[in-house]
Amino acid sequence: MEATKASPVKYDMEVVRWFTIAAAIYAVVGTLLGVWIAAELAWPFLNFDIPELTFGRLRPLHTNAVIFAFGGCVLMGTGFYMVQRTGATRLWSNGLAWFTFWGWNLIIVLAVITLPLGMTQGKEYAELAWPIDILIAVVWLSFGLNHIMTVAIRKTSHIYVSNWFTMAMIVMITYLHVVNSLAIPVSLTNSYSIYAGVQDAMIQWWWGHNAVGFFLTSGFLGIMYYFVPKQAGRPVYSYRLSVLHFWALTFGYVWLGAHHLQYTALPDWTGSLGAAVSLAMIIPSWGGAMNGMMTLSGAWDKLRTDYILRFLVVSLAFYAMSTFEGPVMSIKTVNALSHYTDWTIGHVHSGALGWVAMVSFGAMYHMVKKLWNTEMYSESLVNVHFWLSTIGTVVYIVSMWVSGIMQGLMWRDYDEYGTLTHTFVESVFEMHPYYAMRVIGGIIFHLGTWIALYNIVMTVRQARSARGVNAVPANA
Amino acid sequence: MSEKHDVSGVPTTGHVWDEDLADLTNQPPKWWMLGLTASALFVVVYCIYYPAIPLMSTFTEGIGGWTAIKEMETDKGEVDAVRGKFEAKLKDMTPAAILADSELTEYVTRSGKVLFGDNCAACHGQNGAGTKDKEGFFAPILNDDVWLYGGTINHLYEGIVGGRQSMMMANKDILSADEIDTLANAIAKSQPNSTPLFAEKGCTACHGEDGKGMQAMGSANLTDNIWRFDGSIEGIKRTINFGVNSGDPKARVAVMPSFKEAGKLSESEMKKLAVYVFKFGGGQADAPAEVAATPNPVTAK
Amino acid sequence: MSDHDKIYSSKLQDKVERSTVLMFVLTAIAVAIGGIVEIVPLFYLPNTAVIGGNGTYNGTAHKDSKGNVISMDKIVWNPVTSEHKTLEDWRPGDGVRPYKPLELAGRAVYIREGCYLCHSQMIRPFRDEKDRYGHYSIAEESMYDHTYQWGSKRTGPDLARVGAKYSDEWHRRHMKYPRDVVPESVMPNYYWLEKNKVNVAENIQTMKVMTMMPFNPVPKTIYTDAYINDAKAQLEDKTELDALIAYLQGLGNHIKFEEGVNYRD
Ligand code: HEC
Ligand code: HEC
Ligand code: HEC
Ligand code: HEM
Ligand code: HEM
Ligand SMILES: [Ca+2]
Ligand SMILES: [Ca+2]
Ligand SMILES: [Cu+2]
Repeated sequence: MEATKASPVKYDMEVVRWFTIAAAIYAVVGTLLGVWIAAELAWPFLNFDIPELTFGRLRPLHTNAVIFAFGGCVLMGTGFYMVQRTGATRLWSNGLAWFTFWGWNLIIVLAVITLPLGMTQGKEYAELAWPIDILIAVVWLSFGLNHIMTVAIRKTSHIYVSNWFTMAMIVMITYLHVVNSLAIPVSLTNSYSIYAGVQDAMIQWWWGHNAVGFFLTSGFLGIMYYFVPKQAGRPVYSYRLSVLHFWALTFGYVWLGAHHLQYTALPDWTGSLGAAVSLAMIIPSWGGAMNGMMTLSGAWDKLRTDYILRFLVVSLAFYAMSTFEGPVMSIKTVNALSHYTDWTIGHVHSGALGWVAMVSFGAMYHMVKKLWNTEMYSESLVNVHFWLSTIGTVVYIVSMWVSGIMQGLMWRDYDEYGTLTHTFVESVFEMHPYYAMRVIGGIIFHLGTWIALYNIVMTVRQARSARGVNAVPANA
Repeated sequence: MSEKHDVSGVPTTGHVWDEDLADLTNQPPKWWMLGLTASALFVVVYCIYYPAIPLMSTFTEGIGGWTAIKEMETDKGEVDAVRGKFEAKLKDMTPAAILADSELTEYVTRSGKVLFGDNCAACHGQNGAGTKDKEGFFAPILNDDVWLYGGTINHLYEGIVGGRQSMMMANKDILSADEIDTLANAIAKSQPNSTPLFAEKGCTACHGEDGKGMQAMGSANLTDNIWRFDGSIEGIKRTINFGVNSGDPKARVAVMPSFKEAGKLSESEMKKLAVYVFKFGGGQADAPAEVAATPNPVTAK
Repeated sequence: MSDHDKIYSSKLQDKVERSTVLMFVLTAIAVAIGGIVEIVPLFYLPNTAVIGGNGTYNGTAHKDSKGNVISMDKIVWNPVTSEHKTLEDWRPGDGVRPYKPLELAGRAVYIREGCYLCHSQMIRPFRDEKDRYGHYSIAEESMYDHTYQWGSKRTGPDLARVGAKYSDEWHRRHMKYPRDVVPESVMPNYYWLEKNKVNVAENIQTMKVMTMMPFNPVPKTIYTDAYINDAKAQLEDKTELDALIAYLQGLGNHIKFEEGVNYRD
């Protein structure tokens, strides 16, 4: 571990730079798609009667774009960045990393083509057709192998906590993707799951929840554990907390999928088991949130001037909030109300916008400065972006909470005669103003992503012109 | 190497990554450790109380005796306690008798709202106001006084139970374009008999000598300037050319599903709807005996 | 031993943190357990609608209010015991059956268009869902649904029991221009489905694939070679809209539910 100090290590950072730029672009694209489908729910004519733009086809493109294009590029970029720097070693294979980069982007291009054409497997977050699934498996394994082998050849004695989380993600996502995607093709673009009904549902939500739990949580906790202490310039608050909450989350999260299936045709025990462990996940989740927050003790004053740190801290607050909300939504009586409503959508985006996107932006800004060895083109634009993200997220989730709960209450409302009070269509009608409000929140958030992209591009240009194109130091 | 110390003086574990990453040796907060233990205990307790653990041929049922179905029965019990007394009465009453009972009518109009909104409004529009698109009205307006099949409570009930499906043949191969033109123009003025063709071509067989329609077969009144489909000349021509439910691809389609056959609604629910529709305002007092006695074309077969 | 080699967790944890292999293996075990416990029993326990190795449903036994076991033949259509022997003769109430060719084609359109992103097909056992949509859904009803369609969001109403609720003509107009019949609707216009012809070859292949599934395949005695062959004629010249409507009209009326029976026990 002393190696880091003694001799400056050369790192393979070019691929990380590309992943970072790609992530910034996909943030713009993914949230634009989000705004678009949000607007379609408020004003349905906005699909202009073009089949490729209808809600049912664009929605999977939105989820894939934000989770796998944006989220995936952030995870792989930061993954390669952190694993080298915390291991004081270059990548196990720089060539393989480029394969991962181009392979992943090829998958994204294929997604952009196939999903609007309606080529889907019909499983949420696993929509992509079977040949693309095979490609995903190959590219994912190339990332995983490279990451784990780089951990293996590290120069430090211990594996840094970020890499535990990333490794857990790599393993779990591999299991999930393989098992959930098993299908028999009927054509090059179409296939049907080998499971049916109850079993298919459970396997889908085992995947669906853990795409959240490992891709959007473990992976991003790994990011948090590197970038929060780095940006704050403070050691991680508690090593023991890291250990305990890592194992609790890694072991526990897997059981949660069944909370998506409460009261469905699955046997009662499955939903209860999922709910029980879900509730037990508040504390492990908060362990991570707290470890991050407390890392700032002694550095809180930095928040006044360090806008990157603001992103990271607010993301932790949203993380704590959505990991409280999620378990609450797993309680039987609450889920009975929230399931099927826009409350779920509000929860999703408090996690996705507030946690995943915000922590990503914090990490991306931090890396951009290091990768191009420069200062941000504009610190105040970072601040503007921060406020747009925060306000956009709040507007989004508040409108969905209010309307989602309203929706749930309307569906189950009985009058004093013991008969239902509202027709379904009344609930659709009542959603309109909230759907419109969400569009506004979405636009605010989306504007921020343009500012980020602009700021990052200008920063890179500034660094290049300052030093000449090829003068960027390889070790960043 | 030098060990990092927190501002509070807490030592690190001694490991350093990437120049300055380190872990402090703080203990996790007490409340967190307690919470973690409590969480584990909670899972155990929850899994003992609720059905939760799969075994080799069954699963643990939980000591609380909870099942989703029992929960539903309990919840249903609550609303049944409120509506039970009404429902019990409804069960053995005819729609006409319900209509005569003001308390029940009040109950039924309340519970009819969602029944109608979720099952009927798709075709008949919110509050029975009809739904109209480029092809004309999709199903009859129910909140006016005009009835194809008659507006007494029994007529309404029959329609809901048995469904309605009227028939008018396509005339495009039977009549010349000129004839259809003449007929359409006459009908558009609500004076079908202003052309002799109306009787000569057999329209009166269904629409009656006076052109006022016959409830027994649900044929439209052509003299009231109220249009079931589309009252423009073009619209009328289309109806005459292709008929209603005639099987012609361009025919007007007018099918009201039988809610009894579909098994979608219970007897009581159908009664409620008859009263509910009656109360839109267009309901008619009992018709002369011969009309009421006419067998319903659908339920009779 | 220098100070920084002191262990602040446990010996095992310290070992794991030093060893990539150990870390990898332990993690791989830790993340495997929950899934195994929750998924595997759903393949062998009763009431999960899996056709077990012995041709029964893993001992599923629904009982009526008097405690008598209801024959599974009343729940899942069995051509051998049913008075209706072929898919064409099958009547609502005969029990859950595989899809007819046109319905299967419609289901493919349903999946392709992402209808499941706005519509659920899973009625929960709640009083309000019963009042609004009908009897709660049971496992057997989706036993042939390779790629289940329960959904997770109700932007539009549940469709599990929409079959026979409206006329074909209503569906035709509603699917083409939903706001023509329901002004408040936010559903997309699907008028263009009427212009597309059903993909016959792919749907024939789908029928074959359904008989090859490792779990709950459609019995070859129902999708016989002859039946699959004849399906071509049924699909020829049908539009995707026809197919979709056939699928919708077949939803939810397979089983005749009786009062007082717990279909989830
Ligand atoms: C699928 C569309 C559809 C649905 C759903 C529907 N109807 Fe109808 N209804 C029609 C059509 C079409 C007609 C006219 C039939 C004809 O012209 O023969 C009709 C006719 C009627 C009539 C007779 C009107 C008259 O002028 O005599 C009544 C009463 C009626 N419907 C009530 C209801 C009620 C109550 C419900 C809900 C339980 C309902 N309908 C559901 C399509 C529908
Ligand atoms: C077999 C019986 C039958 C015959 C014969 C018949 N009609 Fe009709 N017609 C009907 C029925 C039934 C309806 C109403 C359908 C509905 O409302 O669902 C109708 C409706 C119409 C309408 C539409 C009215 C509206 O309000 O939109 C027109 C116009 C019409 N008929 C004209 C004619 C003419 C002209 C002839 C003779 C050439 C004729 N019909 C012969 C049964 C008949
Ligand atoms: C953007 C969301 C959305 C999408 C996508 C969507 N729907 Fe809908 N759907 C709705 C809404 C909202 C309603 C309720 C209003 C209405 O009846 O149009 C509805 C109603 C329906 C109904 C009537 C249900 C009833 O009981 O009244 C059917 C059937 C239906 N949709 C089928 C489909 C099919 C098939 C698809 C895919 C090809 C689809 N929908 C796609 C939102 C959607
Ligand atoms: C401008 C920002 C965004 C807007 C306006 C937006 C909008 C939407 C809309 C309208 C839906 C469909 C909801 C429905 O079906 O009713 C949706 C779904 C979803 N979005 Fe976003 N989104 C945004 C950003 C993001 C980001 C950054 C992520 C992830 C990192 C994300 C993840 C998801 C997921 C996972 C779903 C599916 C939710 C479910 O199925 O329950 N979104 N989004
Ligand atoms: C311990 C933590 C969490 C628990 C227990 C939890 C629980 C839940 C529950 C109960 C639902 C609703 C399921 C339903 O009724 O359909 C849900 C949905 C969802 N949650 Fe969480 N959640 C947690 C954290 C998170 C985080 C941090 C994110 C995002 C980064 C997230 C993303 C989602 C998504 C995308 C869905 C929608 C799934 C769908 O498509 O239906 N969750 N979660
Ligand atoms: Ca897939
Ligand atoms: Ca969903
Ligand atoms: Cu979940």
